[in-house]
Amino acid sequence: MKFFPLVENEVLKLLRRRRFRVAWLILTVFLGIIVYGTAQGRERFRGGKPWRVETQERVARLQTWLRSGRMMASSERWARFEISRLQYHLDRNVDPEAISGPLFVRGFANSASYLLLPLLAIVFAADIVSSEFSQGTIKLLLTRPVGRVRVLASKLAALMLAITLTVLFGAAVAYAIAGMAFGYSGWEAPLLTGFRAGGSVFDPAAIRAIALWKDAALVFGLAWFAALVVGAMAFLCSVLLRSTAAAMGTMVAALVAGTILPRVASSWEAQKYLFVTNLPLPDYYSGSPPPIPGMTVPFSVAVLAAWAAAALLVAFTVFARRDVLA
Amino acid sequence: MSAVVLSAEGLTKSFGRREAVSAVSFEVREGEVFGFLGPNGAGKTTTIRMLVGLARPDRGTIRIRDLDLARDFRRAMQHVGCIVESPDLYRYLTGRENLLHFARMLPDGALGRIGELARLVALEERLDDKVATYSLGMRQRLGIAQALLGNPDLLILDEPANGLDPAGIREIRLLVRRLAEERNISVFVSSHLLSEVEQMCDRVAIIHRGRTLAAGPVADLLDRPGSDRYRFLVSPREKAAEVLASHASAPPAADDGGPGLDVRISRDRVPEAVAALTGAGVAVFAVERQASSLEEIFLEVTGGETV
Repeated sequence: MKFFPLVENEVLKLLRRRRFRVAWLILTVFLGIIVYGTAQGRERFRGGKPWRVETQERVARLQTWLRSGRMMASSERWARFEISRLQYHLDRNVDPEAISGPLFVRGFANSASYLLLPLLAIVFAADIVSSEFSQGTIKLLLTRPVGRVRVLASKLAALMLAITLTVLFGAAVAYAIAGMAFGYSGWEAPLLTGFRAGGSVFDPAAIRAIALWKDAALVFGLAWFAALVVGAMAFLCSVLLRSTAAAMGTMVAALVAGTILPRVASSWEAQKYLFVTNLPLPDYYSGSPPPIPGMTVPFSVAVLAAWAAAALLVAFTVFARRDVLA
Repeated sequence: MSAVVLSAEGLTKSFGRREAVSAVSFEVREGEVFGFLGPNGAGKTTTIRMLVGLARPDRGTIRIRDLDLARDFRRAMQHVGCIVESPDLYRYLTGRENLLHFARMLPDGALGRIGELARLVALEERLDDKVATYSLGMRQRLGIAQALLGNPDLLILDEPANGLDPAGIREIRLLVRRLAEERNISVFVSSHLLSEVEQMCDRVAIIHRGRTLAAGPVADLLDRPGSDRYRFLVSPREKAAEVLASHASAPPAADDGGPGLDVRISRDRVPEAVAALTGAGVAVFAVERQASSLEEIFLEVTGGETV
């Protein structure tokens, strides 16, 4: 029995559901709103001043804020880091907030990696197995002369394909819309990247100038990877819980908890081994301080890969062995 | 005797401490329609789930065309088409897309059978409509077409008449008989309705509380001595009851306020009973043979234990 027709089946079922089209529509609308908001905000942000003046003012504002001593530890760390970053740009005469279509695309990958793309991955993954249970079609699917592992593998392949297509689609739409507002050129522009905060220490050693397209490709790669990992976790929930609503609820709760946790409990070191804490890896790859000091991109990739592998192992074991009584 | 297509031996399955199926054994032969009869909750569906590999038996073996289902699942299932519990298909896909979907899960050749099968189950005209718009009878027929895609030797149908109207039930019954007679397919049908099994099946096994109680040709099972029951519409009832008591193999049931007297009496003794009634001045309006019900057969085979 060939594997490809099984994947074809699963892709067909994914594409024919309304949720897939809705997800892409949401992505498009969402991007349109962000681009509009960014364009509006920038005008107000700069207040008509040259970028050097405005950036210097921002550094001064942050320093005053720091001296006031009324900041939470995590924001304080961010403020110190931000000051160093802005200063670094000022020293090299590069506008830290320069924007172009390509820059927006890269920024989108950054900010979409820890909520939007994972959410879409959850929407696809949460019902990929559980819907077969709720529709009763699992009884047909598993009584064909095809092993259960192959059936589940075909579902996983279709899911990864859907997530990949969605990330690519997001990039294409972001570029198309942002290009209208900020121009389509600028892929070759150099970008200062690799800012790293060791605790509150700013470490310029790792900073490098890199062509924007290379950097964007890397950021998208990381965002894609993070979405795949979330997809794998949601896939496990779908297998275990056999209910789409329960799987989706569990995963969304985990995501939300993951964005809150580093803020309210930044001193809890062990959370760097949780998968949600590692999701914003494109973000701290490209300059933000990591949620927990000391986390690096390779570390996060390794942690996420371990979580995904464990999730898939459990999902396949349970699926292959469990009695279907629904 | 024709070859055995499906054999179950000592199937046992427990859920927690409750044994849902206990040591169930039977054989289904080539080209026969085998009825699996029992009340709801007797263990029929659990047994079927084990037969098609959805659930693992705690003990016992299932062999399909001499292939052990537990060890040789894929090869064994190539011989099987099934509908478990209800004909659940993808409602957001059309009938044709559903058939394509399941044909892709089978060896080559299944794709080419779609047109022929749609004709067989009389769904050609609606094949490109979404399944969500189908009636239950149509879904049941599409389910059967799906089950036949792989050219199976064995068709397993779980309560195929459930929820269908009389016309729908008749269609399914005729289709099942045709498949057995024209294509030599063995059909395993579960049901809780005796009349359905009686009309459709060649042989039957009765399952009750997870155990097989009796098995054999349908006719043998129905024609147990003394199992004939007749309803006498007579007046006056009290007098008729006195007269009939001496003719019947069992005394008339207590007055249930119903329109007649139900009496267990063998067929050849009915004329003399009628004559005796008339002789005693009882007016006889009608004598109807009552189909022996599943409950009665249970009463007999279980020796009085209620269903």
